[in-house]
Amino acid sequence: MTSVRVFFVGGLMSYRAMFGWLNPWILIPSLIVSPICQILLFAYIGRSAGVRDDEFYVIGNALNYAAIPCLFAMSSTIEGERQGHTLGIVLTTPARRIPLFLGRALPVIVNGWGVAVVGVVAGVLLLDAHIPGSAWPALLLVVLVTSASCTGLGLAMGAVVLRVREGATFGNVVFCVLLVFCGVNVALEDLPGWMAAVGTWLPLTHGIEAGRLLADGSTLGGVGGLVFREIGVGALYTAAGLALLGYFERDSRRRATLDRV
Amino acid sequence: MTSTTSVGSVPSVTAAVEAIDLQRTFRTTSGIIRRTRKDVEAVRGVTFAIEPGELFGLLGPNGAGKTTTIKMLITLLLPTGGSARVLGRDVVTDVREVRRRIGYVFGGDRGLYERLSARDNLRYFSELYGVPPREQGPRIAELLELVGLTGRDRERVEGYSRGMRQRLHIARGLLHDPEVLFLDEPSIGIDPVGARELRATIAQLSEQGKTVLLTTHYMFEADELCDRIAVIRQGEIVAEGTPAQLKGRVGGGRVLEIETYGVPDDVLVAVGDVAGVRSVAVEERGQQQVLILQCESDTEVTHPVLARLNGIRVGRVDAREPTLEDAYVELVSGA
Amino acid sequence: MRQVLHQQAVCYWLQLRVLSTSPFEGFLAVLFPLMFATAALLVYSVNGDPVAMQYAGLGAAIMGMWTCQGVVASSLLTRERWAGTLELLVAAPTPLSRILVPITMAMSTIGLYCVVATMLWQSWVFDLRLEIESWPLFVLSVLMAAVTLAQVGFFLSVTAVRYRTSWALGAALEYPGWLLCGFLIPVDLLPVWIQPLSWAIPTTWAMDAIRSAADGGSPWGSLAVCAATGAVYAVLAAYLGKRLVDSARRNASLALT
Repeated sequence: MTSVRVFFVGGLMSYRAMFGWLNPWILIPSLIVSPICQILLFAYIGRSAGVRDDEFYVIGNALNYAAIPCLFAMSSTIEGERQGHTLGIVLTTPARRIPLFLGRALPVIVNGWGVAVVGVVAGVLLLDAHIPGSAWPALLLVVLVTSASCTGLGLAMGAVVLRVREGATFGNVVFCVLLVFCGVNVALEDLPGWMAAVGTWLPLTHGIEAGRLLADGSTLGGVGGLVFREIGVGALYTAAGLALLGYFERDSRRRATLDRV
Repeated sequence: MTSTTSVGSVPSVTAAVEAIDLQRTFRTTSGIIRRTRKDVEAVRGVTFAIEPGELFGLLGPNGAGKTTTIKMLITLLLPTGGSARVLGRDVVTDVREVRRRIGYVFGGDRGLYERLSARDNLRYFSELYGVPPREQGPRIAELLELVGLTGRDRERVEGYSRGMRQRLHIARGLLHDPEVLFLDEPSIGIDPVGARELRATIAQLSEQGKTVLLTTHYMFEADELCDRIAVIRQGEIVAEGTPAQLKGRVGGGRVLEIETYGVPDDVLVAVGDVAGVRSVAVEERGQQQVLILQCESDTEVTHPVLARLNGIRVGRVDAREPTLEDAYVELVSGA
Repeated sequence: MRQVLHQQAVCYWLQLRVLSTSPFEGFLAVLFPLMFATAALLVYSVNGDPVAMQYAGLGAAIMGMWTCQGVVASSLLTRERWAGTLELLVAAPTPLSRILVPITMAMSTIGLYCVVATMLWQSWVFDLRLEIESWPLFVLSVLMAAVTLAQVGFFLSVTAVRYRTSWALGAALEYPGWLLCGFLIPVDLLPVWIQPLSWAIPTTWAMDAIRSAADGGSPWGSLAVCAATGAVYAVLAAYLGKRLVDSARRNASLALT
């Protein structure tokens, strides 16, 4: 029971404390207007270049933009813990680490999911994209999985940012990498080999591919492999992030710098 | 001496800075659906005059209205009532003329371009203040020397300590050789040594004939530096005069300090009731409480007071002359 | 007059230094549009149509200028407020316009840097060398884009500063600018009802002029309209800026600190 409490309450508290994005003047431009604009931008680029259809870009960019909250919210949660001097406590608390961090990750994942879904719906309404009704449940699930794996990357990024400092810049750079390498606007098979190879080791890639197949009429079973690969990639980054945080904790206990990290 | 009223923008020949019944009210709105308006009177009719070459202190606790008053004088805020003149020019209508002749320095870490060096910061502001290009070089060098930053002027400001930033602020305020300098809590948050150097610099400015208005909540600073002080509390001036005059307001009296260990409130009231005791203040010093009694000088109070404290453990008992701090505490606490 | 020019030059130079040493306003303002340009070119390169690639390449080179101005300018006064320098700028005897214009020109300079960087990047990564018929006209058009963008930036900075969250509003302008100004998408491909908005932005006209210069056509008509539109923004900005400062003095609304 305690694990569950730690999971929910801890996550929610940490999220609300650090995430001042609930201000509508920030929320609406950043998380609603911008993703829709990115979708429109690439959909029109696609039309202008005569490449693929609107639906292709809607799914790709909606999921890509969901990375913004996943990356930034997660890394600001960690930064918030550091600034509140609770990071040391969080890392050394007797509560089990997994529900603790998952709890902090949950609001972030939901946020990312929300942004992506809003993007897809807007894309469908504003553009020439058609997603069959039967595909929606599976699509929502795939979006959730993708959001979760992206949050894993966010956790790893948050750990790095503890040392790297310029978090906002770094986050934007990671976002750009995802944009270019994950098949967001160009299918993996159309990318040069090495770029596609990098893409397969990043979150979003498999989720986007699965989402597109679902929108084209595939079943959940048909995309199962992709979904598992997406989960796998996410788990990889989550593990890396937790390991890095653990390393920083031990290192700073040695050097008494965790709060200054 | 001619009177201080004048017509249009003809400069008055007396005061360097004049505030005449200055008022400033802020309107705050809260709530989204049902908007509630609240008027906050930050400054409620402040009047004073600063003579040329004087170092004038505006002393008061946080929130008293010192910063608001200064902002009106430096033309950043319009008064909602009353008027003010700086060097004979009205702060509402003659804005550019006022700004060209005054310097503004405030305390704290902010107010500088972090990524530029001290020298570049000074160059930037000297352009904004219209310092002729040919004069900038020598002027900047001279000011860096004055504030003791020569040698570190090519470093980026982001590496500066607060004391250094403060000194750079003063240099910035002096770039265009203003006649009047407004210093808003310049020594806030600075270590004692740095603050001492800062005060020396400020005193030097005054000796050079500049008119200085200094706001502070450090009594000893006002005491040490200022020719005259106005004590401001809740938007109004409650006392004005030289440091000696202000001490005199609580003077003719003595201060009795008694160290105790836990005095109940009813005993405090009883102590206050003793004839000759004007006011009782309690200061917590760690485990102790120190009772500070402002007393008449001609009445013997020590015995009656100690009698009322019977049964309570008492440490040191000290009788001394009142300081400016005592005057200040009494003035701002409205006792 | 000489003093004004000197002030403009020195303020420009020092603000350029501030911007270019900032990771966010310097490095990222160049990298972010560069990556989006790359993504867009990747889409165009799927079909590999050389005419389309030239079209996109030219636009991609310029789109960074919009980022450097649109995003950075909106948050300008907010950043000055956080730094504590806004108060000092407003308290100075120099009019606010004369303070803001050199800063927006500095942002445009970073935008020009972005143009060069993107052109080099394109030629290296995509083997895409832009075919420009008239280099002088091309450079002139690009400079006109820079100047008019500075005017737009000036306008954005005084309108956006009222909002404490102007940095978010500015960031949200980035994508719409890329959509509307004809960088990667011909304006006539956009819905009819939004096209007038495109043409209300001087950058769209500048882009048109740039394409004409590249094709060997005459950019003068577009350049003229570009200059005119830019001037409108500048005049509006000067007026709004003055009103802003007056309102701030009266109502303490600018929250200068």
